[in-house]
Amino acid sequence: MNLSAFIIDSACKYPDNTCVVHDSNRFTYFEIDRLSDILANTLIENGLRKGERVVILLENSAEYIISFFAILKTCGVAVPLNTQLVSRELSYLLNDCSPKLIITNSQHQSTLKSLTNPKSILLIDKLNLNKKSIPETYNLEPISGNDTDLAMIIYTSGTTGNPKGVMLSHQNLCANADSIIEYLQPSASDKIMVVLPFYYSYGTSLLTTHIKVGGTLVIDNRFLYPNVVLDTMKKEQVTGFAGVPSNYIILLRKSALRKYKLNNLRYVTQAGGAMSPAMIQEFIKTIPHIKFYVMYGQTEATARLAYLATEFLENKLGSIGKAIPGVELDILNEQNQRVKTGETGEIVARGANIMLGYWNSPEETAGVLTKEGLRTGDLAYKDEDGFIYLVARKKEMIKSGANRISPLEIEEVACQMPGVLECAAVGIPDEILGETIGLYVVKSSINLSKNDLLLFCKQNLAAFKMPKVVEFVESLPKTSTGKIKRLALTGDLQ
Amino acid sequence: MTLIESSIKAKIRRFIKDNFLINFGCNSLNNSDSFLKKGIIDSTGVLELVSFAEKTFNIKVEDEELIPDNLDSVDKIASFIKKKKS
Repeated sequence: MNLSAFIIDSACKYPDNTCVVHDSNRFTYFEIDRLSDILANTLIENGLRKGERVVILLENSAEYIISFFAILKTCGVAVPLNTQLVSRELSYLLNDCSPKLIITNSQHQSTLKSLTNPKSILLIDKLNLNKKSIPETYNLEPISGNDTDLAMIIYTSGTTGNPKGVMLSHQNLCANADSIIEYLQPSASDKIMVVLPFYYSYGTSLLTTHIKVGGTLVIDNRFLYPNVVLDTMKKEQVTGFAGVPSNYIILLRKSALRKYKLNNLRYVTQAGGAMSPAMIQEFIKTIPHIKFYVMYGQTEATARLAYLATEFLENKLGSIGKAIPGVELDILNEQNQRVKTGETGEIVARGANIMLGYWNSPEETAGVLTKEGLRTGDLAYKDEDGFIYLVARKKEMIKSGANRISPLEIEEVACQMPGVLECAAVGIPDEILGETIGLYVVKSSINLSKNDLLLFCKQNLAAFKMPKVVEFVESLPKTSTGKIKRLALTGDLQ
Repeated sequence: MTLIESSIKAKIRRFIKDNFLINFGCNSLNNSDSFLKKGIIDSTGVLELVSFAEKTFNIKVEDEELIPDNLDSVDKIASFIKKKKS
C-alpha cells in the first residue's frame, strides 16, 4: 500500500472532519487530500518522476502535510529536513540526497538559493494553494508502485560525523503506523497536540497514525512558551499529547500546567530517550486522569519498537515495556546468543518497520542490518516477566531535547577552526534537556579564544548542536589505540 | 525611553549576544524582533534568559508569566522587568 492511501481513505470516510489546525487555519480531510492532489500535479509538471527525491524544508504546518502526501502520491520520495540547519549542513544533505525539487517557503529561500539550482525550489506560499483554489472536481492520474518502494528518507546523526539518511519504504511506514494504532487506539474523534517536528520520526508517526484514523493534528510551534501551547490544548480540547522528556520537564517545571484544567486530555506518549521514573510519576500525579505511555524506538525502525502498557506503569516503572505488535525484540550478547534474564546485551529488532538501509551508505547499512535483525546499539536486559530495561547506549550520541547529535560532527567542525589542535565533544547531564554539549579543546595557538571558537561553530552548526561549555585542556584522555575516551571526560564539565 | 529601561535593555542585549552569539543591528536582531519569529532562541534559551533576568534584576517570574507578551523581544522583556520592579 502507498502511504498516501491513508489520506485518500480518510478523506473518503471523514471528508468533513478537521484534519489539521494551525493557528487560525483549519483544513478538513477533503481539503488536505484535494490540495495534495493539486500539488502532486504541480510536482509532475515540474519534472518529478517516480523514485526521485523531494526535499521538504518547512516548519510543521498544513503546507507540510499537503507537501508530504503530494510527494507520496507521485511515488516520489519525501525528504524532510530540519529547518534549523545552517548552510553548511544543508549543503551536505542536498548533495547527499540530490533532490529533483525542494518545497519550502519564502523564509528559507535566501539560504537555499546559494546552495542549489533556483529552478528546483518551489515556494509553497507562492503556489496559491488555499481553500479557495480547490475545484469541485479534480483528477490526479494514479501512479503505480510497490509496497517496498522508497517513500521517505529521514536524516539522523551518524556515527561517522555526517548525518545518515534512513530509507523508509511505504510498507515500513504503514506497518509502524498500524502497530502504534493497535496499542494507542486513537480514533477519528482524537485530537493530538503536535509540538514535535514532522522532520523527525516521532513527529512523522504522529502524522501517519492520526491521518490514518481520521483524527485531528493540532499544530503549535511555540513550545518556546509552553503556556501558549497549554492555551491551545485547552482551546482545541486536545485528547492527546506527545513529547520527549524535555517537553514534560518544561511543562512540569516551567509552565503553569497545574493551573490548567485539561479535561479532554486522554493520553500522553513519551519517547526520545529515558525519562526519570520520578518525573513520570509527578506528571501522572499532576494530571491523574490521563494514560501515560512510555515508548521506545529509533528512526531506523521507522519510529517505534516497544511500549509500556499503562496498566504496567506502576509495577514496571523504568522499563520501556515489550515489543509493539508485529515486532520481535531480542537481547543478544556479543556472540549473537540470547542473554539470560537479567543479563545485559544489545537490543536487536525484526519487523516490517525496519528500514531498507542508509541512503548511499552500504557499509553503514551492513553494520546495523544483520541476519539477526536491526542492531539498535542500545544495551538492555529483560526481567523475569519479559519487560525490557535500557542500560546504556553503545553509540556515542548526545541526546539533547528531541535531537540526536553526533559528537564527531561537532568535533569535525571545531577542528576546522585555526588554533584548534584536537577536541572532544561530550554530553553533559542537563535537568531540562537530558544532555547539553560540552567541548574539550587542546589549543595549537595561544591566541585562540573561547568566544572566537563559539562564533565559528555558530556559523557552521545548527543552534541545537552548539556547545554550551568550552574547556581548554592540555591533552585528551585516549585509549592505547589513540581513540578519545569520552566517558572519562563526561563528568568533568558538570 | 527612560535611563532605567535603557540600562535593562543593554544588559539583556549583552546576555543575548554573549550566550546566543547574536549581533544586534542590520540582518540580525533588533530590540522589537520576536524571538519566536526569528527562531534564534529555543525553549531552554528562553528559560536561561528568564533565569538571568531573575538574578540580575532581583525579580521572581511566575510560571503563568512565561508568555510571549512578557518575553518575546528585548523591548517586551525590558518593559516586563520595569513593571515587575515598579
